[in-house]
Amino acid sequence: MDNPENRQDEKEGFVRAKNLELGYRSGVETQGVASGVSFSLFRKELTCLMGPNGVGKSTLLKAIMHQHPPLKGEVWLGNAPASHLSEKERAKRVAVVLTEKIPTGLLTVRDLVALGRIPHTGWWGQLSPVDQAKINEVMALTSISHLAHKTVSALSDGQRQTALIARALAQDSPIMVLDEPTAHLDLSNRFEIMYLLRDLARKASKAILVVTHDLEVALETADKLWLMDARQPLLTGSPEDLMISGGIQRLLPGEKWRVDAASGKIIRNTTPLPCQIEGPEPMVSWVKNALRKNPELNLPEAIFLTETPFAIKATFSQHQQTFDSISEMIRFLQNQLKPENFFLK
Amino acid sequence: MIFTIFKSWMNKFQSQRLLIVLLLCVILWLVNLSLGSVQIPLKSLLGRIAGIPFPQPSWEIILMEYRLPKSLTVLLAGIGLSLSGLQMQTFFRNPLAGPYVLGISSGAGLGVALLTMAGTAFGWQILDNPGNSWSLVGAASAGAMGVLVLMGLAAWKVKDSMTLLIVGLMFGSATSSVITLLAYFSAAEELKLFTIWSMGNLGNTGWSDLGYLAGAVVLGLIPALVAIKSYNAMLLGETYAVSMGINFQKLRWTMILSTGILTGSITAFCGPIAFIGIAVPHLARLLFRTQSHSVLFPATAGVGVLILLACDTISQLPGMATSLPINAVTTAFGAPLIIWMIMKRSFSEEF
Repeated sequence: MDNPENRQDEKEGFVRAKNLELGYRSGVETQGVASGVSFSLFRKELTCLMGPNGVGKSTLLKAIMHQHPPLKGEVWLGNAPASHLSEKERAKRVAVVLTEKIPTGLLTVRDLVALGRIPHTGWWGQLSPVDQAKINEVMALTSISHLAHKTVSALSDGQRQTALIARALAQDSPIMVLDEPTAHLDLSNRFEIMYLLRDLARKASKAILVVTHDLEVALETADKLWLMDARQPLLTGSPEDLMISGGIQRLLPGEKWRVDAASGKIIRNTTPLPCQIEGPEPMVSWVKNALRKNPELNLPEAIFLTETPFAIKATFSQHQQTFDSISEMIRFLQNQLKPENFFLK
Repeated sequence: MIFTIFKSWMNKFQSQRLLIVLLLCVILWLVNLSLGSVQIPLKSLLGRIAGIPFPQPSWEIILMEYRLPKSLTVLLAGIGLSLSGLQMQTFFRNPLAGPYVLGISSGAGLGVALLTMAGTAFGWQILDNPGNSWSLVGAASAGAMGVLVLMGLAAWKVKDSMTLLIVGLMFGSATSSVITLLAYFSAAEELKLFTIWSMGNLGNTGWSDLGYLAGAVVLGLIPALVAIKSYNAMLLGETYAVSMGINFQKLRWTMILSTGILTGSITAFCGPIAFIGIAVPHLARLLFRTQSHSVLFPATAGVGVLILLACDTISQLPGMATSLPINAVTTAFGAPLIIWMIMKRSFSEEF
């Protein structure tokens, strides 16, 4: 493990590129998507690539996979540029999990994982004992051994995604690239998948790049974030540094939205509520949340919250009102509004 | 050693099924040789294989000159068409793809139509005797190869496999329209000659033709066998296949070359044989419950031979002097089979 090449990876990153120009080539015409893209992807790290739709995240992935080579520049995979490698050598360095729906049919989970061994087998695709052992190993690593003989079509979305990750692992490549692996998954599975990937990066010493739109999960799990944005160079750093420096705000171009520096949540830029709210902390912020969503309401002058039992005391200019729930208060305030019927005017 | 390789190749269930299919093939082959307008008892047939001559010398001629070459043609056509269909279905990721989607049968048909019907339509005669079987084979081969070359050019230009499929279907429609025009202007006699060719005929290949057909089928199978692993990778779609180190352009040419040689040669000698190419791969998947091409290749070939042997045996109409056109039988049994399969479980789910 201590040859000079490995040490170089630690300094420069296993996958690296300088000033890439990304885009599509159709005939003689080229259509640029992003330019000046530079990055280093390190082994043992989970990196999340984030950015608005259409800024070229998929194009960047395809450049790393060498399916849409960059218009200018080179992506280095370890010690060689991607374009100098044969298809088979590239397959031994980069494994992918894509968004496209896989046709499942009669394929069992084990068959699916075994497909990952394709770059390592002979022309007939015969699995050697080494291949079999690798398949068993990655299925144990991703805890899907018990699903081995189920057909892929019978899996839940989360299980299918895990099986696809196991297939990519079986390919035994140092680099793994995943395009939105957590889309369509429920809340807990989103965390499960990302923690699994983080674990794999550590245990199997992989450089993992994940495209995701899920800021909350990315902040929780990623070692590095790459923020991609139209007309600006790629911004990279640990999620915590990007939160503190404010670089994270690039994810939300325009004035309307921002990332809350304390919670990491995406919130709407609003003026403070013209109403005094007092009470225990989590309750106050949820009442504020409800009031912010309904900016058309005439707010009471002051609101006082009590914990046990939960009650809301609202003070208006003429009277006081008590509510048992936030929705009851909102309903009351809505009824206070004068009906605006355009047909009666 | 051999046994361990076999074990890791397919599981017990699959090897048992394959054994049953092969056994049924042998039994059906004997039945196929025995039945027909003149019945040769199975006992005499087995005796003949053991070296005892037939009690009636006419049986020897019927068997050696007619039924045996025909059954070998069935063997070659069954293997070639069903494996072409399997390759097309996997490559295009389309359960309805078959050996003829790239327009090869229409090309062969156009060749034969020009040979048989262009005489009256254009007022010229290509050959003195258009009914000659070798001139039919020549015309069909020329037509199939013409379409193959055109598809090759299209494949050069078009990189997307769905577009290639559509181009193939359009080639088919275009040639069909030429055939329709030729048919419209041709004489009744010539029209009948063409129509009979288009119904398929497995009995036209004599021993000398059989050599050529066998050579072509073996030639067409080689690229397919070399690409087994690539076809497995294609199960997940093109992008995944490429990410696993498959050279997609190479696979495309392999597919066009293999299916072109297989279906082109079979169509040239036997006419367009319907349904086998589409139905058999599905049947093989259902019977062997797998998507792996290293199992599906032998399975599809075996089931293809079995089904075509069965259809041919039925078309011989035991005890009657005439025989039915093979396409009438393959379609009559193929269509209900597909409907039954769709009804039984979802087609696309199994695919």
